Formats: sequence, C-alpha cells, structure tokens
Amino acid sequence: MRFARDASGAVSALLFPAEVDLLRVTVSQLLELLGAAGSHALGASADPAVRRLLPDAYPGDAEAAAEFRRFTADGLIDRKELNARAVLASLGDEPADDSDDERNDDDPPVTIVLDDAAVQSWLRTLTDLRLTLAERLEITADGVQHLDAEEAPFLASVYDWLGMVQESLVYAIDV
Amino acid sequence: MSLPAPLPDLRDAPLLERPWVTIVWDDPVNLMSYVSYVFRSYFGISAEKADRLMLQVHNTGRAVVATGNREEMERHVEAMHDYGLWATLAKADE
Repeated sequence: MRFARDASGAVSALLFPAEVDLLRVTVSQLLELLGAAGSHALGASADPAVRRLLPDAYPGDAEAAAEFRRFTADGLIDRKELNARAVLASLGDEPADDSDDERNDDDPPVTIVLDDAAVQSWLRTLTDLRLTLAERLEITADGVQHLDAEEAPFLASVYDWLGMVQESLVYAIDV
Repeated sequence: MSLPAPLPDLRDAPLLERPWVTIVWDDPVNLMSYVSYVFRSYFGISAEKADRLMLQVHNTGRAVVATGNREEMERHVEAMHDYGLWATLAKADE
C-alpha cells in the first residue's frame, strides 16, 4: 500500500485485504484508547501513550499544564476520534461477521481515494498510531526499541509499515 | 504643519514583557518529511524555512517555531498536538 497522486490529481492507494484488516484493527484499538483517555483528560493519564498524544504544554509548571489540559484535552481527543473514524470510513464497509465466505488472501485489492479532508485525517491518525505503537515498543529518544516480548517483531513490522504508508502520503500531497 | 500624534495608551500593552515562544521537541517517531510538511502547511512558511526548522529540531533536539503572546502560542501548541508533534510553550529565553 502506497499513496500516490494520479493523473487527475486524486490521492489514492491500492490496499490488499490483509492491509485493510490491519488498518481496521489498529485504528479501532486507537479509538478504544482515546475513548478511555477521555475520562482522564483533566489529569495526566497513567498510560504513556496517552501522555504522548496529549503532552504537557508547560513542562515546568504543573498548574499551567493542568489549566491548558482543561481547555484543550477534550477537543483534541474529539478531533483525534473524528480523524480515526474518517480513516475507518474511507476503508469502506466492514464485511458482515456472519458471512460464511471468509475473506481470503485471493480477494482482489481495493483502491481508496482520499479527498483533502480525508488526507488530513489519515496524516494525523497514522501519526497517532505510530506514537502509540512506539510507546508499546518502548522506543526511547535515541530511536532504539526495548520491548522484548513475543509480539515485538510483529508490532515493529506494523510500526515500520505505517511509517512507509505515511511517508508515501506526505510525498503524494507534497506539490 | 501637523499636530503631534497623541500618545498611545500603553497601560494595557505588554511591550516590556518578554514574549512567549512555541517550542517543538525532537521525538524518535515523527518522520522528517511530515514535520517539515506540518511547519509549512500550518505556519505558511517556505519549504526551505520549514526544512531548516525541522533539521534544527532533529539535530539539536528542539526549535522555537513561533514567538508572540501567550494566547497565540497556546493555540499553536494545541495545533501541534493535533498533528501529533511534541510542542510546549515558555517565556522567551527561559
């Protein structure tokens, strides 16, 4: 999956079924994280991923940081949720769970086309996903990953793939 | 001949206060191309200036991307958080 600008100027990408599934799962998990964060918006969350998505605006001043959070956190979370839902919407309808013909890898890839608003939602949601995954992977400021768990290689490959998708989108709109 | 201009009322103008700055910090996640795109599209600056600021963040760990009054800087910081960049505000030279 790579975004590109076609001859008509539209930004589009070809997605294989496994890529659509992966995006649906990860974006849905992001929505869960944001939904849970909402109730903690007035204070800093215990979840490092949420703290990175809503960082302190005043690092040396707890009172001012709390004040800023009180005025901005709900709006930021709402907009992050709207962006994530817009990404899900651009992936098309989810196949019905009770369909007896399960999706298989032979299904043809689908083309999605993004309008300007969807491009902005994708850019931000891909960023939020990568920031969240980086916290799970325990990536430190030097870029080194410290998570040593069974799922680490898979998470790392998703993280890299999302970065590749985002890079292609930035270049596609960069005129 | 002209009349002298009346003195402006300076009581509410914080001319002598240090301004505030918006600082963007380096993180290991955000792509260099994306950070440059954000600076260019949000602040409306040239590609060259955006790249210079992005490289300053990347190479030195941080860059001042805007200077002004506190309310303006809070708006910029919130916008940067919208984009997923790590931004803070402070009084200039702090």
